[in-house]
Amino acid sequence: MIARSLKWTRHNLFGKPFDVLLSLTVIPGVLWMVYQAVSWALTAARWDIIPQSLRVLMIGVFPADQAWRAWIAIVIIAILLGAALGCVFAFKGRHAGALVPVWAGCAALAGIENVTNVLLIAVTIAAFAGGWAVASRFPPVRKALVPASFIGLIAIFAVMAPPGAGLWGGLLLSILLTLVTAVLSLPIGILLAFGRRSRFSGLRWICTGYIEVMRSVPLIMVVYWIWILIPVLTPQFNLADVVRGMIGFTLFYSAYVAEYVRSGLQAVPRGQTEAARSLGMSEFDINRSIVLPQAIRVVVPPLVGNVLDIFNMAPLVFIIGLTDFLRAGQMILANPQFGDRTYEVYSFLFLTYFLVGSLITFVARKLEAHLARGSR
Amino acid sequence: MEMHQANVAGPAADDGLLIARRRRNRIRYEAIQFSIIAAAIVLLILFAIAVKEGLARHGIRFSFSFLWEAAGFDISEGKTFVFDGGFWPAFTEFTSDRLILQAFITGIVNTIKVAVLAIVLSTVLGVLLGVGRLSTNWVVRNLSFWCVEFVRNTPLLIQLVFWYFAVVLHFPPIAAAAKFYGVVISQQGLYFPAVVWQGAGSPLALALVAATLAAVLGLIFGKRGSIRWICAGAVVLFVGVLFATGGIALDFPVASKFRARGGIGMSPEMAALLLAVVVNTASYIAEIVRGSIDALPKGQWEAAASLGLNRRDTVNEIILPQVFRVVLPSFGNQYISLTKNTALGIAIGYPELFNIYGTIANQTGHSLEGIVIVMMSYLILSWAISAAVGWADRRLAKRGATR
Repeated sequence: MIARSLKWTRHNLFGKPFDVLLSLTVIPGVLWMVYQAVSWALTAARWDIIPQSLRVLMIGVFPADQAWRAWIAIVIIAILLGAALGCVFAFKGRHAGALVPVWAGCAALAGIENVTNVLLIAVTIAAFAGGWAVASRFPPVRKALVPASFIGLIAIFAVMAPPGAGLWGGLLLSILLTLVTAVLSLPIGILLAFGRRSRFSGLRWICTGYIEVMRSVPLIMVVYWIWILIPVLTPQFNLADVVRGMIGFTLFYSAYVAEYVRSGLQAVPRGQTEAARSLGMSEFDINRSIVLPQAIRVVVPPLVGNVLDIFNMAPLVFIIGLTDFLRAGQMILANPQFGDRTYEVYSFLFLTYFLVGSLITFVARKLEAHLARGSR
Repeated sequence: MEMHQANVAGPAADDGLLIARRRRNRIRYEAIQFSIIAAAIVLLILFAIAVKEGLARHGIRFSFSFLWEAAGFDISEGKTFVFDGGFWPAFTEFTSDRLILQAFITGIVNTIKVAVLAIVLSTVLGVLLGVGRLSTNWVVRNLSFWCVEFVRNTPLLIQLVFWYFAVVLHFPPIAAAAKFYGVVISQQGLYFPAVVWQGAGSPLALALVAATLAAVLGLIFGKRGSIRWICAGAVVLFVGVLFATGGIALDFPVASKFRARGGIGMSPEMAALLLAVVVNTASYIAEIVRGSIDALPKGQWEAAASLGLNRRDTVNEIILPQVFRVVLPSFGNQYISLTKNTALGIAIGYPELFNIYGTIANQTGHSLEGIVIVMMSYLILSWAISAAVGWADRRLAKRGATR
């Protein structure tokens, strides 16, 4: 045992003179930093602020007595995400086992003494597992996923709207914004991608121009621009800030989705189109049932990566005055009572963002491996 | 199907039918083409009318004449071009009596300043991290991996806010500033030693500067490798002679109780924005470098090993030259998104283009005209970067071909 670990050390840390030098400088530095961080987290840090302000972090300034609306929205999101996962990965017993510690962790964070919250978290996770299991056991459900997600999002809007869309906030707003953008930008992006390959040069120019312009300007500018432009164009509707932000995000990310889809369309061999044409299919049918399914299959992993991009850019909605997860954290720090808890709050924000981001990356990598195995 | 019908009609009728069908198709194509363009133009006109009416309701007229009004606000840092009678515009600090147009220029200058610095630094850091992920040293390999993973999986905005509020603003105050080989690090900003011109018209110094510039040009545009090496040596030599004869000198910053004098200063906002953007882009660049090293055929490593090259020589002489030939376009995409990301400076108050646009829109109410200017500026910056990267890429490809 000792001999083996010594051998490992010699191979992996002190293999060559340069490695010895690197190890001797890097290892003490890393150890010192880890020691500092751990000792701060265990002794100096006062973590009580996180459970105290958890509601603000999760749903922002949404009224506490209306929290049940947020819970319904969370359960719907859990079902949809579970069903989306179930389309690719089959639900197995060990997955159910892995969800129990997740529930325990969330419950511990929310506070064990609050029985309602613990139960509601259990319901959410059960909904997630249920959606996953149903979608993986009954393949016909998968065909209904796209309309179901539209209906689910509309239901969330209907449930959350009554107290006022201006009150949406926290992590829930970040997730909602990400989901709405991801779902809406897909059809627009597919249309733009086909438009860029169209036989008609006029359509080609318009789509290319739109995609290229959107890809060369910052998202924050597009969101702000749409936000000020919509009231100028449609003064009679008086759209909420949240909706205007979602429109801006969707218009921006459609251009990115279009580029991903276009790369997928290019990956479909020409023979496929030619074979379909020789069977006498119309151009529309060829694109819809031959080219698009194969193209989408190729671009699913980058599209999941795009969802991570959207989630990582969601904090930009601060520019139009919305309180997303990051802004909720800053709001807590703005309270003079908690002014000295900068590192505690930022650690929590970083950790949560990192967990969600890593989860999305993990799913994208799994998908890539899964689809690569499927194609011959 | 069309072929089939044409064949049945026989060879003589075949031609006539085909021509007629072609003409019909042609006309249909042109009609659809025309209606697409017409629809686009009509939509644009409707859009313009709606915007104009909407603005008229708020009592604002769509015009760019506000650019020539006095700004009336201050910008915390940044320079602009001022025409004061001379042939060349002077490049001086922005003050509130300047025009709004000059405020926009200040924003563009600040954006370019951060972008150029960040492009250079993030390329260096990114390549180091990317090579670090393939190191034989276990600690270095895993450290690079986790740094890259962490940065890529968290939002840039929280990184920026963290660098600013939790790192840069917690630097020591200037009276107790950390000093590090002439660099002063403090809450009020970072100060670096500057190269200053002291040759004041002496012909020797001027000739040396001209020679240095010529050598730099030769270094960039030289056709052959040997010429570039000679030019590089000449640059070092000329700069050394300039130092020795006192033509240029290093100006070290000196920290006093409230501020530092001398040297080049960098505001805390700029330092935080630079840190955030550099670290973020570097992790994406590291991923590109690692990906393209992985994509190289394994035979390259094996051939190098069979020639008896050690790992460092293999990486430096065999792997990296091939990698740089393929990664430049991807680097270009990262440089463009880096330039766009500098717009986040508004979150911490760095006066880049978007932030200054926000101030102008608030002051004058001309937010839609301002957006046009900002959009054009970012478009031109993006095109300039992709043109420069394309030029470098073609040049590298040519060098690779002649070798």
